[in-house]
Amino acid sequence: MTFLQSVVSVLYYLLVAYVVVLLVWNFRRSRKWDEEVLYIIVLIPFLLRLFRLK
Amino acid sequence: MSMFTYAGFVLGVMVVVYIVAKVFKLSTELSMFAAALGGALAGGFWIPTRHIAEGAMTYLDINLIFITATLFMNILKESGGVAFAVRGILKRFYRSRTLLVILLTVLLLLPGALTGAGSVTVLITGGMVAVVLETMGVSRVRTAAIVFIIAGLSAAAPPVSLWAMMTAAGVNMPYVGFFWPLLLPCVLLSLVTIFLLGWKGERIDLERALGELPQPPDRMGWGKVFLPLIVFGLLIFIGRHWPHDTPVLGLPLMFACAAGTSFFLSPVKLDFLKISRETIKQLLPLIGTLTCVGVLVQIMTLTGVRGLLAVTAVTLPVALVFATLFIVLPVSEAVLMWGAAPVLGVPLVLLFNNIGLDPIVALAGMSVIWPLGDALPPTAIIGRLTVEVVGFKEKYTQFLKACIVPGILIMAVGTLMVIYSSHLTFLTGL
Repeated sequence: MTFLQSVVSVLYYLLVAYVVVLLVWNFRRSRKWDEEVLYIIVLIPFLLRLFRLK
Repeated sequence: MSMFTYAGFVLGVMVVVYIVAKVFKLSTELSMFAAALGGALAGGFWIPTRHIAEGAMTYLDINLIFITATLFMNILKESGGVAFAVRGILKRFYRSRTLLVILLTVLLLLPGALTGAGSVTVLITGGMVAVVLETMGVSRVRTAAIVFIIAGLSAAAPPVSLWAMMTAAGVNMPYVGFFWPLLLPCVLLSLVTIFLLGWKGERIDLERALGELPQPPDRMGWGKVFLPLIVFGLLIFIGRHWPHDTPVLGLPLMFACAAGTSFFLSPVKLDFLKISRETIKQLLPLIGTLTCVGVLVQIMTLTGVRGLLAVTAVTLPVALVFATLFIVLPVSEAVLMWGAAPVLGVPLVLLFNNIGLDPIVALAGMSVIWPLGDALPPTAIIGRLTVEVVGFKEKYTQFLKACIVPGILIMAVGTLMVIYSSHLTFLTGL
C-alpha cells in the first residue's frame, strides 16, 4: 500500500508539472498584460508544490 | 486604536482598493489581489510574501480538480461524444416532449456537476441543448434563461460543488454528507425550471434540429461516451467501499483517468496538448479567482478582518440573516464571485452551527442560491457567457427578467433549506 501511495504521489507531481508547462506556454502566448499577471499569480502555488516548498 | 477599529480600517481600505481597481477596469481576480495587497499595507505588514504564497496554496487541490475535470469534458466534446449523445437522445425521444426535456436537463447538469463550474456546462452542452430547445419552439430568451439557471444549479450539484467545498474548508468541516442535500434541490429545481420555461412550444422540427447540431464521427458510439464516466464512477465506488485496501486516488487523478479513457477511445485523432492548453485558457478566470481569493482570505486572517466579519455575522439577529440571505448571497457572488463562499459563507455557517442548525444542509441551501449571482453585474460572467453562446442579442435585462421566476423559487428553496436544516439532517446520512 505504501508503494502504491508513493506512485499516486509521483503521478500528482507529474500532473502539477504538466499544468506548469501549460501555464507557462499560455503565458508566453498571451498578449494582454492583465492575463499575464494572472498567469504568474496562478503559477505560484503550482511551482511551490512542484519544487516541494509547500 | 482598538482591535475592532483597526480591523474595520483595514476592511475599509480593502473595499476602497477593490472599488478603485474595478473603476480602472481591472478583472475581478486582480481587483481582489489588489484589495489583499492594500489590506496588508494598511495593516502595516507591507508586502507579506510568505502569506501571499500561503494563501495562493489554499485552493490548489480544487484547482487541480477543475483542470482535470474540464479537460475530461473537453476531450469528450472534441471526440464528438457530446454531439453524439445530444443527437442520439433527440432521435430516440423526439416524440415525447416530457422525456426529451428531462434528458436535456441531465445533459445540462452533468458537466457542471462533475467539474463544479457552470461555465463548463454552458460551453460543453449549453450551445447544443439551446439548438434543441429552439427547435422545440422555446423562445431564445427563455432558452438562455434555462441554460443559465441549470448551469448554475449544475455547478452547485455534487460531486464537485465549489461553494460548499470552499466554505467547508474554511470552517475545517470535511466535505462529506453533501451529496443528497445538494443533489435533490439541484435536480428538482432544474426540472421545475425547464418545465416552467420550456414546456410551452411547438412540435419539434427533427430535421432542422439535426441539421443544426454538429455531426459526430462515424465510429462514435454509446460505449465510447459512457465508458469514461463508468471508469470515473468505478474509481469513486472502489475508494468508498474499500478505503483501507486501495490507495487514495483523489478526484483530480480520477478525472485524469476518465480523460485518458475518453482520449484513447476517441474515434478521431485528438491533439491532447492543444486541448489541454485551451482548457487552461478557458479556466484562467476560475483558477485565477480561486488563487486570488486564497490570498485575500489569508490577508483578511492576518489583519483580523476575517475575525471581524465572523464576530459580526455571529452576533447578527438570526431573523435578519434569514430574511436577507436571498439577496446577500447572489450580490456577494456578483461582487466576489466564488470568493463569496470563504468570505461570507464561513461566518454564516459558524452562525448557523452556533444556533443549532445543521451546517451541512444549511450550507447546501446557501450553495443553491449563490450561483444566481453569476448573472448579476458587475461580473455576470456566466450570464454574459450564456447569452453569447445561445446567441441572444436583445437587451441583457430581458434575459434577467426571464430568470426571475425560477430565481425566486431557487431563493425560496435555498432559504427554507437553511431555516429547516435541522429537520433535514437525515439527508446527510443517506
